[in-house]
Amino acid sequence: MRWFRRLFRKEAVEKQLDAELCFHIEQQISDYIAEGMNPGEARRRAQAEFGGVERVKEECRDVRWETHADNFLRDVRYAVRTLWRSRAFAAAAMVTLALGIGASTAIFSAIDNVLLDPFPYKDSRHIVTIAIRDTDQNEQDRRNQFSFPELQTFVRQNRVFDSIVANAEDDILYTTGDSTFRFGGDYVTPNTFEFFGVAPLLGRSLEPTDYKPGAPPVFVMRYVSWINQFGGDPSTIGKSYMLNGTPRTMVGVMPLRFAWGGADLWMPRNPVEPDTVSSDHFQRDWYWGAVGRLKPGVSIPQAEADLGVIAQQLATVHPEEYPKHFTVKVETLADAVVGSRFRDTLFILFAAVALLLLIGCGNVANLLLARSATREKEFAVRTALGAGRWRLVRQLLAESLVLAIGGSLLGALIAWGGIHALAAQIPAFTIASESVIRMNGLVLVFALLVGMSTTLIFGLAPALQVGRRDLSDALRDCVKGPGGRSVRTGVHHAVIVCEVAFSLTILIAAGMFMRSFVALTQVKLGLRPDHVLAARIPLSPDRYKTASQVAGFFQPLLARLKSMPGVAYATETSAIPPYGGIRSAVQVSGKVHTENWPSIFQLCSEDYFSVLRIQLMQGRTFTESEVNDARKLAVINQTFQSQYLGTGNPIGARIHLDELNKFPDAVTDPWFEVIGVVADAKNHGLQDPVVPEAWLPYTVTGSAGRGILVRTVNDPAMMVNAVRREIWRTDHNVAMAFAETLENFLNIFSYGQPRFGLLLVSIFAVIGLILVATGVYSVIAYATARRTHEIGIRMALGAASGDVQKLVVRTGLRLVAAGIAVGLLASLGLSRIIAKELWGVSPYDPLTLAAVPALLLFVALLACWIPARRAAGVDPLVALRHE
Amino acid sequence: MATNTERTEFLKGTLDMLILKIVALGPSHGYAISQRIQRISRDFFQIPQGSLYPALHRLEERGWLEAEWRDTETGREAKFYKLTKKGWKQLDAEILGWKQTAEAVSLILRTVE
Repeated sequence: MRWFRRLFRKEAVEKQLDAELCFHIEQQISDYIAEGMNPGEARRRAQAEFGGVERVKEECRDVRWETHADNFLRDVRYAVRTLWRSRAFAAAAMVTLALGIGASTAIFSAIDNVLLDPFPYKDSRHIVTIAIRDTDQNEQDRRNQFSFPELQTFVRQNRVFDSIVANAEDDILYTTGDSTFRFGGDYVTPNTFEFFGVAPLLGRSLEPTDYKPGAPPVFVMRYVSWINQFGGDPSTIGKSYMLNGTPRTMVGVMPLRFAWGGADLWMPRNPVEPDTVSSDHFQRDWYWGAVGRLKPGVSIPQAEADLGVIAQQLATVHPEEYPKHFTVKVETLADAVVGSRFRDTLFILFAAVALLLLIGCGNVANLLLARSATREKEFAVRTALGAGRWRLVRQLLAESLVLAIGGSLLGALIAWGGIHALAAQIPAFTIASESVIRMNGLVLVFALLVGMSTTLIFGLAPALQVGRRDLSDALRDCVKGPGGRSVRTGVHHAVIVCEVAFSLTILIAAGMFMRSFVALTQVKLGLRPDHVLAARIPLSPDRYKTASQVAGFFQPLLARLKSMPGVAYATETSAIPPYGGIRSAVQVSGKVHTENWPSIFQLCSEDYFSVLRIQLMQGRTFTESEVNDARKLAVINQTFQSQYLGTGNPIGARIHLDELNKFPDAVTDPWFEVIGVVADAKNHGLQDPVVPEAWLPYTVTGSAGRGILVRTVNDPAMMVNAVRREIWRTDHNVAMAFAETLENFLNIFSYGQPRFGLLLVSIFAVIGLILVATGVYSVIAYATARRTHEIGIRMALGAASGDVQKLVVRTGLRLVAAGIAVGLLASLGLSRIIAKELWGVSPYDPLTLAAVPALLLFVALLACWIPARRAAGVDPLVALRHE
Repeated sequence: MATNTERTEFLKGTLDMLILKIVALGPSHGYAISQRIQRISRDFFQIPQGSLYPALHRLEERGWLEAEWRDTETGREAKFYKLTKKGWKQLDAEILGWKQTAEAVSLILRTVE
């Protein structure tokens, strides 16, 4: 490229230009000489005719692009030098810009990925979930699974859906050699893959022929599970695997974001055929979750009304399956998965982050304006010396561009890091399995545009002023007299007050979250989660139906576990504490009551209370032989005793657990004799009060979910593989699922979300503080610079440097105080919203309300102090000589 | 007779076309171009050098002319300009435009009230 090379061959180009013009003049001279002129006269005339050689050269250069590029580079170099001289200003502007751009992009991207467009499915905005909501209970109490005949009724009679597909979850045990693993499997109805419209990554998805009676059993895998289990080996496709005792062929793998139902694999199932799988399993009748695609133009209330009519008819036929008062709840996929609480949190963030970007830009504008004000004289002088306005604009443009590009690059970096941090920190199970949090390019571009245009627009302000103002005027009063106060000063001040108020509000929220989180971590659990390994053990319903079959597995397993080195205690369990148990109404012998007495119960073995270190208060716990003999004995907690047994001696009381009657492997006459009372331990999550709970020997029934709890001497995470080996040694067709330390379970289910909220708010709080610091600094520094003259006079008249510092600091603190007042009001207004997210702390927590303004005041003081010190160092002679 | 300044003003709009036309007759250097325009127009146009060279460089920048250093008949090295393909097209377009304008102007001038 010749034109490109020219850029680096400037000298050669110059020489050529020289030679070209010389040639012209010399030709002219020789022509004149040929006409008979004497050489001296010829030269004089030729030169006179040609005019100013330098001017012609300049004009020639001007038409060439590399000259402009060259000028621009020079401008940029000069700009970098200028900015380097005022490093503090440049750093403040760039960091502010970067924080605004980075934080807003990261949060906007997350919101887009989580809330606005989390699903990769065709037309996913019109896919809705269907649930029956009990209007006598709270919002979350709903049934979203349907028996197949019920579902068929909806499919046939509705007039609002294009189509409905359903899925049914099942534990799928995959046996290979001597090992068994558990997959979350989903049976899916015909047309499911057509419904979602996602092409498989490898192989094929399920097709109509797979649903025909007698078709060879097949399945399709989720990408992540395929990578984890089969290492992403493409040759696994077309091979057959033992799933729940039946060989099934893997026909395809779906792309990363296809995660329907959160399943690991999908199998075809046409529920018209007699339901063989669900026939023998507890509650398997409530099996199918359904989603439908709304017909074009049908709104959600319309769909709810239409389905409501059908459901009311069903309720009259099957009253036992419907609550007394109910509505049909139809929700879009995103609403159903993300849930309203988390959505509120994200939308508050959304508002906060938009405000942040705005304030960041306002801050940058403030900084630039402040700087331009102090440079008025510089520009006036340069204009007076003959610099064209365009020249000044170009130079300011270069400066702003350097700032904008620096800030933008830093901002993009922050956005990138922020998104990764967010994705890593976002709590499990609060967002759809399908959503992948990654940078949204459009959002980044938008934020960059806002940031850069702010910088460019406000960066050019001084150039526009130079055009408008009378030069001599600017030169004369470049130092404002005392009391000089313009509209612009008012704007600066308003921005500062807003910043302080915003920052204070966020900081107070952060403080509240922090206190709430601390309160949560200090909850007395009543059990010791350290050194405990927990796992679910899904038993195949075909081979483990009766109590003795289940005991036949656990008795040898528990014996093996207890004899392992490093294991202190091991127990069977039916739920992972502290998250509930099997719900059941309860009767107490000798007590008559009409209302429902709710409780939960656990099926466990003798070591349960030793594993969890739950304190025995009265009586005793089970012995090994009592458990093995399936004796009808019960241990209860203190809440059970105080709520249902009254003040008498609880030992020997007889309690009836209604639910055991209804199990597939039912316990006839489920009366249990209380032999002991244990201290209350959290059993309904960390934040709710303890509910009445009873423990029974696990050997009384073959039904219900099973798991183990193992207390280890050392880190329980190190024992996972050893425990799994013992399980396979006992029965290699049993899998250990969700093996995790109890502390991790608590982290995931209890601490994850509050910690995430705390993290987000803290980030905002820190950014807010930085904004306040730079904002206050820029405005005070600007005001001080404009008052140098005044300060000089004051000092000449005898003011001490301490007085000057006080003067400057007072100006700053007045603004900060106003901001704090506004911020406190805003916080009080917001406290009701925040209260919903808080636990264990009042939204008017006095400690937070006092500490946060103090912190803010301290930071503001620091920001004022730097310019104040500079002001105090003013030499009166220098200041006055300015005039 | 128009004054010199008026002619220069008039020249400005058509200089590009004139240069392209001259160069189309054969590759030539700046001095020759100015001499030829002057001679062919029978001294009607005297191109000030202050306009000629920036114009040449502008046309080269636009890709209508390309330059080459070679020897003149007198054995001196000079920068010779010649027309590029784009230059030929541009010349045709400008001549067409000029003719249309000239025709329109002469039509108006010939109109008798």
